Amino acid sequence: MIRMETTSGVRAILQAWAAIFWKGIKHYTRYPGNFVLYLVIPFLFTLLIFGMGQFVGGNNAATNFAARTGTTNIIVYEILGSAVWMTSWVVVEDVGVVLRDEQMKGTLEQNFLAPVNRFTLLIGMSLTDVVITTGIFFIVVGVTLAIALPSAFLTIIPAFLALLVGLIPMFGIGFLFAGYIIKFKEPYILTQIVNLLFATLTGTYYPVTLLPYWVQFLSGVLPQTYVIDDMRRIVLANQTLVSLYGSVFILLALALAYPAIGYAVFKQFEKKAGVTGEFSKY
Amino acid sequence: MNPVEVQSLSKVFETKEGPLFRKVPKSLVAVDAIDFSVPKGEIFGLLGPNGAGKTTTIKMLCTLITPTSGDAYVSGFSVMKDQQKVRENLGVMLTGERTLYWKLTGRENLEYFAALYHMESSYAKKRIEELLELVGLKDREGTLIENYSTGMRVRLSFAKALLNEAPVLLFDEPTASLDPQSSRLIRDIIRDLKNKGHAIILTTHNMEEADVLSDRVAIIDHGKIVMLGPPSELKEKVKSSDIIEIEARNLSENAAEALQSFSEVSKVAVSALDPSEDRGLLRVHAEKGKEVLPKILEFLVRKQISITKVSFIQPTLEDVFIAQTGRSLRD
Repeated sequence: MIRMETTSGVRAILQAWAAIFWKGIKHYTRYPGNFVLYLVIPFLFTLLIFGMGQFVGGNNAATNFAARTGTTNIIVYEILGSAVWMTSWVVVEDVGVVLRDEQMKGTLEQNFLAPVNRFTLLIGMSLTDVVITTGIFFIVVGVTLAIALPSAFLTIIPAFLALLVGLIPMFGIGFLFAGYIIKFKEPYILTQIVNLLFATLTGTYYPVTLLPYWVQFLSGVLPQTYVIDDMRRIVLANQTLVSLYGSVFILLALALAYPAIGYAVFKQFEKKAGVTGEFSKY
Repeated sequence: MNPVEVQSLSKVFETKEGPLFRKVPKSLVAVDAIDFSVPKGEIFGLLGPNGAGKTTTIKMLCTLITPTSGDAYVSGFSVMKDQQKVRENLGVMLTGERTLYWKLTGRENLEYFAALYHMESSYAKKRIEELLELVGLKDREGTLIENYSTGMRVRLSFAKALLNEAPVLLFDEPTASLDPQSSRLIRDIIRDLKNKGHAIILTTHNMEEADVLSDRVAIIDHGKIVMLGPPSELKEKVKSSDIIEIEARNLSENAAEALQSFSEVSKVAVSALDPSEDRGLLRVHAEKGKEVLPKILEFLVRKQISITKVSFIQPTLEDVFIAQTGRSLRD
């Protein structure tokens, strides 16, 4: 019997990641509806919030907005929040739901039959989302800055770097949901509640400092809060990532904590799923 | 050590049933302390009705389900302790056509799984070419799976199981939903793999397939192996009885039970042939079948069962199962 030629170590992991990444990209291009939805939602929500402010807030709406946020550029302020929220949405929905999605397609067991480490699989499945979220961010924020604040167009680069640091803990949160969803199914109910909760808690459309003190405590443990705030400071207040070192440091700490917690929770649910035969249940 | 060693392997599923807030814990014994081994170059058939425990056994062997007790070894690696090593040594085809990515092409599916099996890329390319040729899909390699027929999907799933040239192969219902020509192709390939020295476990509820392919068969029922041996030996055990097969309409379990009370009849099993037409098949194991046949037919006619065909048949693995359990494999 001939045994196959295999790769091992880092090369094997990179090869698996590349395969998972391209499979994800092919799925996105062959099911383009989701990408279009992700691109449209930030603009629609921004318009909704902007409209509410204008129509309900009355004559002083813009002045009050400037007093509370420190900027008169309502559209850019709101679109930055929307873009980060959308990124977080994609991460929670895709990473959290990816295994359930595979389970419903019938392909999860096929992936788990391969001698590839489960963490490698999860990371690989997340890589596609890094590219998708980057694409969404550059299109949504780029288009907005080009139209509403062209002088600050190049700040998109440091703003993106802030997002990149924040993506790591966001993926950790995604892992947390991935395990939970394998066990309890019904992924979209959970992810939609969580995504709406994130929009409320992380200052997507208003400064978190306006929230009650105890709510601000919850905001403080969510990476999106820092990413949104940092981006607004970079784009609208000409600050640099270096000057925002305090929140960058917190993001880095969260980048260590969330993936570790997320993966530990995922492993626990995965172990239980093996005992209950959950992987093949639709 | 044989490539597959199964030792007192059990699986009990703990579930909760009943209305919300009043759920009652329930235990379901899916596999009950089974033992078997499969040497190199053997096709080992796991035969049993739906729900007998075949797929659970396969899933424990391939590490998708954690056993409750006992252990199994694949190429010497424990499914409890060395799961990654077990997966490296296994090629698995699970039942169902939804085991592939429908938005990828046939070739893309194989390339994806080759990477997950850490296959060296130039080697994987060569291997994929071979397999596409082998299962007759070379000319459709660039077609999305969603545009494949059911048979083509099953053939590609089969090819996927062969990608890593594993010493142990597990095929769960490999020819289910295939046309006769494709089934023959898959069976020929399985025989060829056996000749190359692979240890093969095949689950099926198709007794003809188990009979023609398997070197040894384990008949599994309610999670237990009730009989194990070469098909010819198992069939020999029921040769002392005549087997009467009666095709009829309006067959009922009651009629079968009543027949069981005839002193000449040792076992009776009824199974549905075509439920929409209420057509069924009655298999009667009897001493001196020719003598008792008129009595059986008279009884069935009296019960207003319309008989369409009566024949004496050679024992099959189905009859072995009936003799052992009193039920049909098709139940």
